Amino acid sequence: MSENNRPMIETENLSKSFGTLEAVHGVSLKVYPKQVLVIIGPSGSGKSTLLRTMNWLEQPSEGEVYVDGKSLSENQHHINDIRSNIGMVFQNFNLYGHLTVTENITLALRIVKKMKKEEAKKIAMRQLMKVGIADKADRYPSELSGGQQQRVAIARALAMEPKVMLFDEPTSALDPEMIKEVLDVMQLLVKEGMTMVIVTHEMGFAKAAADEVIFMDMGKIVERAAPEEFFEHPSCERTKQFLSQILKH
Amino acid sequence: MAVNDRLVTQKNKNGLQTTNEMQLTKKDFPWWMVAIGLLIVITFLLIRIKPDFKDAFNIIRAGMSVTISTTLIAFTIATMLGLFIGLGRVSESIFWRNASTIYVEIIRGIPLLVLIFFIALVLIPGLTNLLSALGTVLIDVGMGSFGAKLAAIENKSISMNVRAIISLAITYAAFSAEVFRAGIQSIDKGQMEAARSQGMSRWQAMRYVILPQAIRNILPALGNDLISMLKDSSLVSILAVRDITQVARLYAGHSFKFAQAYSILCVLYLTLTLVLSLCMKVIERKLGNERK
Repeated sequence: MSENNRPMIETENLSKSFGTLEAVHGVSLKVYPKQVLVIIGPSGSGKSTLLRTMNWLEQPSEGEVYVDGKSLSENQHHINDIRSNIGMVFQNFNLYGHLTVTENITLALRIVKKMKKEEAKKIAMRQLMKVGIADKADRYPSELSGGQQQRVAIARALAMEPKVMLFDEPTSALDPEMIKEVLDVMQLLVKEGMTMVIVTHEMGFAKAAADEVIFMDMGKIVERAAPEEFFEHPSCERTKQFLSQILKH
Repeated sequence: MAVNDRLVTQKNKNGLQTTNEMQLTKKDFPWWMVAIGLLIVITFLLIRIKPDFKDAFNIIRAGMSVTISTTLIAFTIATMLGLFIGLGRVSESIFWRNASTIYVEIIRGIPLLVLIFFIALVLIPGLTNLLSALGTVLIDVGMGSFGAKLAAIENKSISMNVRAIISLAITYAAFSAEVFRAGIQSIDKGQMEAARSQGMSRWQAMRYVILPQAIRNILPALGNDLISMLKDSSLVSILAVRDITQVARLYAGHSFKFAQAYSILCVLYLTLTLVLSLCMKVIERKLGNERK
């Protein structure tokens, strides 16, 4: 990745505490356009919290987040504008239960981007085709499988034409046979050159898709490396231990 | 439906049938309904056959429109006010959260009958006096036309019927505020996060994502409130508002036909509440089917 252009997302000495618990401690990282950053680590290591500070769903206790060069703490009253350029995919999909698949996608297009109904519908269909579930356009989320719901959630985020996509353990709530269909869609985005930050436990995917892998433990970055280096020759003892535990089964 | 059940039991407002009971007895043949239906039929037969029942019925019937209109108007106002206060309960602002909590706690801590006295005979006269005093001041300041209108407001210009409606609405707003609050809080917080992550404001997320789902969940509880209010509307007879209770009391008082008057009164309320709870059942079933 060319180091001379502006990072899409940058965190600077970022910390986040919940009461006395410090979930993230002094994390600095940069994600450049078209880069795919994968964050791994044991549960409770602060990786999801770190990801959620990147669109201000969590406000950092210390440090700063820059999105496309803009400081989030200084632009709090423009946060809705900034967020509409950051797509987020959640572990539990969080589709709007009272709306059909199409309406799930068009809602924000219509009320945030003030699009006309027809135009929004066209975009929704295009995104649904991309994730391969155009035939479910008029169904409700509860009628879909977990994998299908997550693909709708990805389509919903993509419809806003975000500059960067954040994935918070997108396959952790899925049955094993549905994980692949979601990873395939994510792989497609990687190929298209989408800037992505992904928190995941899918090591195979991380190896294949990431430009850089970050390993977090106890709220800190323990190790960061290119995937080949990271998985073949991890330098820290903690990383080795984690990888051996995860890859054993 | 766990939420609805909780709402119903939490409030402990004994509607004719709670959602909970309905679900437990779903597979039974509704013998209870047949029994109540029979009771109503027998009473109406008596009204047809017996002249003294007929007289009583014809007189008490006159209060029907007051009972129904008082209930419906007060319920509409209470629901709107309740939504507003319920939103205050989950507001991010510490001021609105506290203001709405104070409202709910004060109203819930005072018996309805006492509140009706207080609102109708103390609060509203106090407010009218305040407004007319304000009008006098405005006239002095030179805003004569508007001031004169305010100054003309008298205690008497607000009828007891209106005061009864205001009292019921203020009281029930506190109940429905709690229903709305519970309904909003029953929606997974991931819904709000997803909406906010797409760039919606907190209010937009509330309006387009949270409330539509919350209201669907709380419809049974709101219906229960409506039934409770229909029954509690009998308390406004204390203000001499001529609802069915007041008319029945007056009739019984001067004719001494207590049995006729009060059994007809009971059956009239029973008929109304039964009709309402059947309507609720239909609505619930419809929503259930939609949800699949």
